[in-house]
Amino acid sequence: MSTEIITTNQLSKFYGSIRGIHEVSIKVPAGGVGFLGPNGAGKTTLIRTLLGILRPTKGTANVLGYDIKSRINEVRDRIGYIPEFNTSFIPDMTAMKFVAFCGRMNGLAHSESKQRASDSLYYVGLGEERYRKLGTFSLGMKQKVKLASALVHDPEIIIADEPTNGLDPTGRNQMLELIRNLQTDQGKHVILSSHLLRDVEQTTDYAIVFSEGEILAQGNIKQLTSGRRSSISVKVKFNEEHFLNNLKDKGFEVWEEGGFIEVKRVNDTENAIFRAANETSTEIRYLGSRSSTLEDVFVDLFRNKEGIQ
Amino acid sequence: MTIESNENGAYVKKFSFRPFAGIRRGRLYRIWSISWQWWTHEWSRSRAVKFLIGFQLFTLLITNIFILTTKDFLLLGGLYESTEQILEQTLISLVRGIVSFQTEIRGESHGSGDNGFDGSFTIGGTSLFILILAVLVGSGLIADDISNKTNEIYYAKLEKYEYILGKFGAFFIFGNVIITLPYVIEFGLLFVGLGDIDLLAVLPLLFQVILFTELVNLTYAAIILAFSSLTSRKLYAGLTTFMILFLASMIVPALAFKDNLVIGLELLSDVLTLLLISSYIIMGEVEFQLVSMDGIPYPVHLADGVGIEGWMVLGGIGAIVLVGILVVIIQVYRRHST
Repeated sequence: MSTEIITTNQLSKFYGSIRGIHEVSIKVPAGGVGFLGPNGAGKTTLIRTLLGILRPTKGTANVLGYDIKSRINEVRDRIGYIPEFNTSFIPDMTAMKFVAFCGRMNGLAHSESKQRASDSLYYVGLGEERYRKLGTFSLGMKQKVKLASALVHDPEIIIADEPTNGLDPTGRNQMLELIRNLQTDQGKHVILSSHLLRDVEQTTDYAIVFSEGEILAQGNIKQLTSGRRSSISVKVKFNEEHFLNNLKDKGFEVWEEGGFIEVKRVNDTENAIFRAANETSTEIRYLGSRSSTLEDVFVDLFRNKEGIQ
Repeated sequence: MTIESNENGAYVKKFSFRPFAGIRRGRLYRIWSISWQWWTHEWSRSRAVKFLIGFQLFTLLITNIFILTTKDFLLLGGLYESTEQILEQTLISLVRGIVSFQTEIRGESHGSGDNGFDGSFTIGGTSLFILILAVLVGSGLIADDISNKTNEIYYAKLEKYEYILGKFGAFFIFGNVIITLPYVIEFGLLFVGLGDIDLLAVLPLLFQVILFTELVNLTYAAIILAFSSLTSRKLYAGLTTFMILFLASMIVPALAFKDNLVIGLELLSDVLTLLLISSYIIMGEVEFQLVSMDGIPYPVHLADGVGIEGWMVLGGIGAIVLVGILVVIIQVYRRHST
């Protein structure tokens, strides 16, 4: 069995002349994957296209081996979707009824849908509130109901589009923990779409970075972060400028950030720093390794893109 | 970790989040789920629905009591020749009342529905209630989904045509309970109450009644859902639909009957009058009279090549239904999906 759960080939979606996604070719591996990018980057358009809500203008896509054009209903039954929008649902319907109804729309029998709705609501932590009307729920609870309704039919893939939007820190952490647990405890494949880098970093192992409808980068988050701006932070006293120039002359990438001199890590960087300090009579007050975050990768990618443009 | 989440965790551990190993139901079941869910939800929350059904049953009960107690006098007085005729004319008169606000423009047939009891004391109120309730309930069918953004959830699980069918199905359940079922019950009550009636002789009438009420359901569904799909505000959708239908039924007949000799073709633009005339077509009558608001009778012949013709009426209803359905399809496939 292929380890990719979703593959797309030159997938494009245009809204008239406006580009939603353009020739997107990705291979989404099993496990947890983050769709990362600013608002309007094309993440939601790709998700909606994969679910058959939007018809692609060009290209092909497969989800769990099913072609989205010819076998979309099989795809839908295997995906649990948490939409981005802050729905108010059906305000005077109970959470239990709503989630069970969602199950029936995915083909669950009446009694099965009720039982699974109960299970799902307990799973997301709304067991005691399941007979409360949705109109009385807080935003965080509504997000959990969305998660329960995405889980009720036991899908293989959960797609969560900006699931932490509008949540307070506690709600946000709860939601991310639930999503993480789905991957680790329940063996689901999770796609988390977000413009919040920390959400993706905390929840998934693999990231696909979107910008203006195109893929900017994709890969394992560890690889993405280790290859780029892993650096050594240095704080020096005396002759700072000489020290900087010495390192630059030796071919190192050096920049200043947050009061530190950052030296991009390559082979034997630490020794080179000590040599430069020695040669320029500079006193090193601090030297520490700084591993780059997804945010650094993100900033770099967008900086490079703007540079190219 | 809170006590509550411990309890939830314990529940999940105890009962587990079971993998689904059953067989998923087919597409029709899913469409039906939309329709049935909406109906049961409306029924449980809407007092207006319950009130209208109560009102319908009450008027039918009153009609039955009146007919059954006066049956012998009606026959002896020569107003009716047989109990079959009483059943036929009472039921037809009641059914036509579904689309007649004003008894003045209700058809006065030379055939069925002529002479005898016309049920007019129930008709105006019932038809207005039915229209108000249909608009009140139906106008939220799609508009609420747009406003609550639940349509995204539907589209992620179903084809858009399934969603549309589910919504039409929802209205049909409502229409059948509010519009069709009471008249089928009325048929049964009159049949049993009047007694001495040959079932085979009156069975076609039952089919005609069902056919006509289903045509009303379809037409109302197309119009109400079309307006519902045009806005995210249920109130706007409902008010617009009601005003258009209600005002048309007030203004159009006044314009159509302004000539003292023939009915103008303007009448074809009034949905309710079109439905009223279609009831004659369904009952197999081509010649009858429509009475204007000032009491002047206008003869209508649906197959004489002059003025309003039968094909125009059916074509008009067909066009309205088609446009309504097309509006819903375009809205759902184009505008709600971007």
